Amino acid sequence: MAEAIGLNAEQHARLRLRRRRWKEFGRHVVLGLVAFILVAPFYYVLLASLKDSTEIFSYPPKLLPIPPYFGNYRDLLWDTGFLRWMFNTLFVATSVTVLKVFLDSMAGYALAKIDFTGKRIVFLLMLILLMVPIGALIVPLWSLVSSFGLINTYLALILPPLANPLGAILMRQFILGLPRDLENAARLDGLSEFAIYWRIVLPLIKPGLVVLAVIIFTDQFMSFTWPLIATTSDELQVLTVGIAALRAHGGANYGLWSASAVMSLVPIGIFFFVLQRQFLARSLAGALKQ
Amino acid sequence: MGLAAATRPGGLRLSAEEHRRLRRKARLRRELTGWAFLAPMFACFVIFLVLPVMGTVWWSLRSGGLGGETKFVGLKNFIDLPDTVGAAAAITNTLVFALISVPSILIGALAIALLLARIERGGSIYRFLIYFPVLVPGVVAALIWLFMTNVDFGLFNQAVKALGGKPIIWLGADHALTVLAILDVWRNVGYWALFFVAAIIGLPKELYQAAELDGASAWSRLRYLTLPLLRRIIFFAVVVATIWGLQVFDTALVLTSGGPGTATTTVIYRVWLYMFGATNKIGTASAISLVLIIAILLLTLVQMRLLRGRGGGD
Repeated sequence: MAEAIGLNAEQHARLRLRRRRWKEFGRHVVLGLVAFILVAPFYYVLLASLKDSTEIFSYPPKLLPIPPYFGNYRDLLWDTGFLRWMFNTLFVATSVTVLKVFLDSMAGYALAKIDFTGKRIVFLLMLILLMVPIGALIVPLWSLVSSFGLINTYLALILPPLANPLGAILMRQFILGLPRDLENAARLDGLSEFAIYWRIVLPLIKPGLVVLAVIIFTDQFMSFTWPLIATTSDELQVLTVGIAALRAHGGANYGLWSASAVMSLVPIGIFFFVLQRQFLARSLAGALKQ
Repeated sequence: MGLAAATRPGGLRLSAEEHRRLRRKARLRRELTGWAFLAPMFACFVIFLVLPVMGTVWWSLRSGGLGGETKFVGLKNFIDLPDTVGAAAAITNTLVFALISVPSILIGALAIALLLARIERGGSIYRFLIYFPVLVPGVVAALIWLFMTNVDFGLFNQAVKALGGKPIIWLGADHALTVLAILDVWRNVGYWALFFVAAIIGLPKELYQAAELDGASAWSRLRYLTLPLLRRIIFFAVVVATIWGLQVFDTALVLTSGGPGTATTTVIYRVWLYMFGATNKIGTASAISLVLIIAILLLTLVQMRLLRGRGGGD
């Protein structure tokens, strides 16, 4: 005890620093373990994709694919419609993203900055229907889209996702945060309402637009239920539908399955790596942080 | 707007009548621009969301199939729902799925977030790794889990064998729904972990400094500070995660094809079967969809109340 009292300030600080370091170390151990568990399935599938069919089943499993076997990838790329599926997914997702960012930011501008009759009701309706998933609407949506004669067209894949009100609600939130002085000054300068939106508001909310684009693109990349129902022809299958068909038909082909899983994650993985910050903001925007 | 009138020769002062007319004109203009900006998105919203919701109600009161004739049958579809083959099982499966997955996701996410929020360096690497499964489409995730759960060479059974146990049939009737729920945990825990991290970082630092000075232990800081402060956020996450959980379909289709039997046939799965399977029960499909929609709308109302209460109006 006498010694404890005798500790000078410097020793105290050192003791606390050491305790802090140990705690930090403990956190790293736990988080490292969690990350390992979450990532392990990816490695296991990557491994399987580089083995031929006898090697996949062998026990004990090889933990390093040496020598690697590329036959699964060759089969996937040349013998299935994979490249076509990938093109369809990227084409549809890009179209939806471009259209929706444009439409949603315009709607958000109207909801945030212009007073017009019915605005409150429109906004309330959007909030109420915000969470209703396309999966629960497939019966009427299918009959609607087929009565337009759009089943098995790109339009059938592109138009229905535009209905989701999340983007308009988010954009309204972003635009509400802009100072009023700017647009008032622009209005006095005689700019039209569209010019104010296009030349003043859009540049100011660019970060928000990027986040919105990331949200829409990833949702579209992952969407399955509607594309499954809206298309029956092989030419129009998107990635998720094509992979599900790969699983459903032609027996168990683990090599092909693993290769398709790996290849389908390449584009979204690259996007994620480049746009990490925006992707992580998705977690917050999805929750409509006020 | 008044400038043109004011600079008109001899028109420097406006009569009351002119004044009103100009104001009306300006107002009309504002109405038109407002709706013009809103219209493109709103039209899509009405056609592809509002109409289908109303359509679900309409279809749910009819019998017949997608291709053929349908006729009005009143509430029969709803009354028969508990006895319809597969419908009750689908609802039960979906609820059990949500009941297993949602608490596991959120407790796991909260635990990860508490660690991640306090870490001093290297946080971005963990965030990247933990978030990555979130970006995997359900179909692909299910495919990956076929490799986890395969009886012969799956990673799970490799681990079981290494520990000296007997191989387990993971996708058999006993475990399939649980495995499906765990797959969902794997896919979603990162999303909510990062959501919670942002919330925790936003908590007032002074409270924690005060608690530390008072000698509060880490556990009591969590119990009496962090959790109460996050109450609303956590509740919000419960609601949204449940809404998402109720929509499970693609993973069930690819991982287990709804089986064995109907062990993993969920609500949307069943709707799809009714629509395109041999059964062709369009009314029943809509009735069961409507049950799902109503459940989601009720949860949405709870969520809206939560957001409203969080200060700052809508």
